Amino acid sequence: MFKNYLKIAWRNLWKQKVFTLINVGGLTIGLTVGLLLLLWVKNELSYDRYNTKWDRIYRLTTDIHVNGSDFISSQVQDVMGPTLVQDYPQVEKFVRLQPQRDIMVQKGHETLQEKKAAWADSSIFEVFTLPLLAGNPKTALTAPFSVVLSETAARKYFQSTDIVGKMLHINNTADYRVTGVMKDMPDASHFHFDFLLSMSERANSRSNNWGNHDYYTYVLVRPGVDNAFLNARLKDITYKYVSPFYQQILHFSLEEIEKQGSHVRYAAMPLSDIHFYANRADQSFIEPSGNIQYVYIFSAAGIFILLIACINFMNLSTARSASRAREVGVRKTLGSQRKQLILQFLSESWLICAMAMLLALVAAAILLPFFSEMAGKKMTINLLDQPQLIVYFIGLLLIVGLLAGAYPAFFLSGFKPLQVLKGKLLSGSNTGGLRSALVVVQFVISSVLIIGTIVIYNQLQYIQHRQIGYDRRQVLVLQNTYPLYKQVNAFREAILRIPGVENGTMTGFLPTGQYRQSPSFFKDRNAAIKDAITTEAWQVDQHYIPTLGMKVVAGRNFDPQNFGTDSSAIIINETAAKMLGFKDPLGKELYDPKTDVSDLRASHIIGVIKDFNFNSLHHPVTPLILRLQEERGSMAFRVKTDHIQDLVEKVRQQWDAMVPGQPFLYAFMDNEFNTLYQADQRTGNIFIWFAVLAIIVACLGLAGLAIFTAEQRTKEIGIRKVHGASVTDIVTLLSKDFIKLVLIAIVIATPLAWYVMNGWLDDFAYRTTIHWWVFLLAGCIAIVIALFTVSFQSIKAALTNPIKSLKTE
Amino acid sequence: MIQLKHISKHYPVGFGKNEVLKDVDLTIFPGEFVSIMGPSGSGKSTLLHILGLLEEPSTGEYLFEGEPVQRMSEKKRTQLHRGSIGFVFQAYHLIDELTVYENIETPLLYKNMPASERKSRVADVLDRFNMVAKKDLFPNQLSGGQQQLVGIARAIVAEPRVILADEPTGNLHSDQARVIMQMFKHLNETDKITIIQVTHSEQNAAFGHRVIEIRDGKIQ
Ligand SMILES: Nc1ncnc2c1ncn2[C@@H]1O[C@H](COP(=O)(O)OP(=O)(O)OP(=O)(O)O)[C@@H](O)[C@H]1O
Ligand SMILES: [Mg+2]
Repeated sequence: MFKNYLKIAWRNLWKQKVFTLINVGGLTIGLTVGLLLLLWVKNELSYDRYNTKWDRIYRLTTDIHVNGSDFISSQVQDVMGPTLVQDYPQVEKFVRLQPQRDIMVQKGHETLQEKKAAWADSSIFEVFTLPLLAGNPKTALTAPFSVVLSETAARKYFQSTDIVGKMLHINNTADYRVTGVMKDMPDASHFHFDFLLSMSERANSRSNNWGNHDYYTYVLVRPGVDNAFLNARLKDITYKYVSPFYQQILHFSLEEIEKQGSHVRYAAMPLSDIHFYANRADQSFIEPSGNIQYVYIFSAAGIFILLIACINFMNLSTARSASRAREVGVRKTLGSQRKQLILQFLSESWLICAMAMLLALVAAAILLPFFSEMAGKKMTINLLDQPQLIVYFIGLLLIVGLLAGAYPAFFLSGFKPLQVLKGKLLSGSNTGGLRSALVVVQFVISSVLIIGTIVIYNQLQYIQHRQIGYDRRQVLVLQNTYPLYKQVNAFREAILRIPGVENGTMTGFLPTGQYRQSPSFFKDRNAAIKDAITTEAWQVDQHYIPTLGMKVVAGRNFDPQNFGTDSSAIIINETAAKMLGFKDPLGKELYDPKTDVSDLRASHIIGVIKDFNFNSLHHPVTPLILRLQEERGSMAFRVKTDHIQDLVEKVRQQWDAMVPGQPFLYAFMDNEFNTLYQADQRTGNIFIWFAVLAIIVACLGLAGLAIFTAEQRTKEIGIRKVHGASVTDIVTLLSKDFIKLVLIAIVIATPLAWYVMNGWLDDFAYRTTIHWWVFLLAGCIAIVIALFTVSFQSIKAALTNPIKSLKTE
Repeated sequence: MIQLKHISKHYPVGFGKNEVLKDVDLTIFPGEFVSIMGPSGSGKSTLLHILGLLEEPSTGEYLFEGEPVQRMSEKKRTQLHRGSIGFVFQAYHLIDELTVYENIETPLLYKNMPASERKSRVADVLDRFNMVAKKDLFPNQLSGGQQQLVGIARAIVAEPRVILADEPTGNLHSDQARVIMQMFKHLNETDKITIIQVTHSEQNAAFGHRVIEIRDGKIQ
């Protein structure tokens, strides 16, 4: 029997080649997109789950809000972790990490910069699942000056992983003993380290200070202990230890702070939440984190594209239900049960889906490298490694097949045999309403995607062209210029002599960099610590503002030659000026602690600069104070040349002459700027591709319906032509109805798209508004595409010789 | 075998209704060969459809082998279609996607007959209808008459207890018609199959035991 169904199914598919092509083609595109997005979403959701104890690991976070300024961080006090374990048996272990942005590692005569390093407690191998290829995980990080390398690093420095006991000279200061080699950390991890240094060499790892928030602290709790319990204990600890600390050092209590509506809070975040929900400001440690919104957007996009493909299938089968209905009637009089017919129709759609699925698997496998590149993450489709993928695929196949075949299966099989045999349903017109509704649904989705694409494109353009308060073009950045040490000024002078270099500044605090610093400032000398304001405060030189093309809107730039007092001068940005609330900020003084609050130093404001964006445009500009002080972290040179590579080469020669063997690291500021928006750019690109594919699939379906209508109306077209209708008349006649549907779809899609895309834009502190013309443009695009699709068929029908079509009747 | 009591059938037409069958009483005994005759539009096909459980009467009672049809479940009706009733349509109604062979085989598939028996039965019927050479053709490759033959073959292949045939020879040459009629007569006499046919031809009607005349929805 089943064979019989498949036979009929196969012959039907073969006979209706065009429709089969549309169905299989549409479903293949839909399933390919679905598969790729499934892999993407699965990858996003798998972050940090490689840890076998992931559901028992939490990271502690700090949330301090005092006097209108916030300190929100994923770092907590040095003693927090040890105290939790000591006081509460429910907390099994703690591990603290202190990432090191760059360390210098000696390899032969060279010194290489390594960016992925951290100090870690020895418990790290018990909390996280980081298997060692060599060494003993229990003792690897107990002794000071021991280091565990990743497999990659081990091969890089020793060409082997069997290196326990070997020595590494790190940071030009100390020799470290290699005590272990760990497997590289999985891609889907929120941290990746190549070097783990023993925490025990850090004095403050044993400090009892409740003020310093230096460490990322993770705790492993015993089974059954939940987040709420941890948060409650953290609150207890805050009162028991942190409050007395405040009382002792600062002479006011936690209760007083809370009475003013401020708070000091510590909380625990489940490990699996870190990728999506961690504070973005911590990105120096965590790699660009995921955005749960994108997971929703992509899941929805995948489902919708599949839905569009399913609708094609449904539409074409209802359109052709006339011929199938007769078959249903005959089969029923021959003794077929309804459930047999349902099975028959479903096996037909499953057959199509299975073909599409096979094609989609091939397509997905071919496209995966490109998609991985576009998405910026490694994804694999290895079925042997991931047997659960097979389950997903089969599940997807069954669901899509059911969805696509549901209408013919459940609707047609319910016909009374004689009704259909007598031709009641032969016109197929009574399913026209359903078909129209489904076409509207398809074009609503397509229009939303078109609008979404335009909005995303606009926002990305906006970011590119927004006045960000400094000129990022033609700026050469040299990273990690510490090794120059006393030669920094000589080096800068030498570079400035190179033709094409216009100006240069030296500071680690660049608008596109990651060095940030936010100490406390006070508006008057006798202020209590609770009146502290938190701002960014950067050490720069007098060339900073001119080199980066920033604008002084009041007062002046630093000028140490003419103003000896400029060593205690500061320049603030407009936002800081606003926050401080001075009517005329020039000449006013601010105070900050030299070592602690009892010893304040005064600085006078000599200028106000125009706000410039030093965070991504997702975040607003925050208050900033610039101070004249040497900071050798990096250098930036404004250049003007057509031969940029030659210039870079000259700079390199100068570098190698002065600090031979030290790594020469350079970048261009506009590239650095762009990496801030890499995630947005990537998402935008993926989105655009999916929008295009969705529209193609929807148009495939529309083309199918147009072919069907034209076929159905050949006789009518023939008669009309015989009576003098022009080609235009016929095309209008055939296209009119479809265009009406697309118009309805645009009307429905407009508010929907506005709502969704406004939500996306709200994630940016600086965003475009969605103008009315976006909807108009999207509408025009949808109509033009639909018209093109439909009229192609209509014109073909209109051009056929009328006698031909009439004769065949 | 078949008993109709006060059967009538009407279709809604506009705001009124069109009475097609009016108060029909009819009894057909097992093993009978009955011909229904009457002018076009008199309700012959409608009556046959009701007999074949393809259509519900508007009022009245229909007993099939003593059982009231109105109260039969969908399942029971399907059961009757599989085993007891063979139907030949005025408009053939073959499945376009199946070959001649497969069309004839379909009712046997629904009866869950083993493959070997199916094969021999279909071969036997093809042989009887002289259609062996055409068994792999599709309906649209056949003439109207040939399609009608396939329709008849399909109706008898499962050896039902009743064959209901709506103008089974309407498209055939009178010689061919005679062959079919003889076959019906043979099935009726040797296999004791009850046969009810609709026909416009006196000659064909003569093969049966009795003729039922229908006019304006009433049995004369
Ligand atoms: N679905 C329907 N709706 C309305 N009227 C119908 C319907 N089906 C049949 N009729 C009417 O019922 C009447 C009887 O039709 P039926 O097909 O039984 O005639 P018939 O005797 O078989 O004619 P013929 O010899 O031409 O096949 C006709 O007048 C027809 O118009
Ligand atoms: Mg008739």
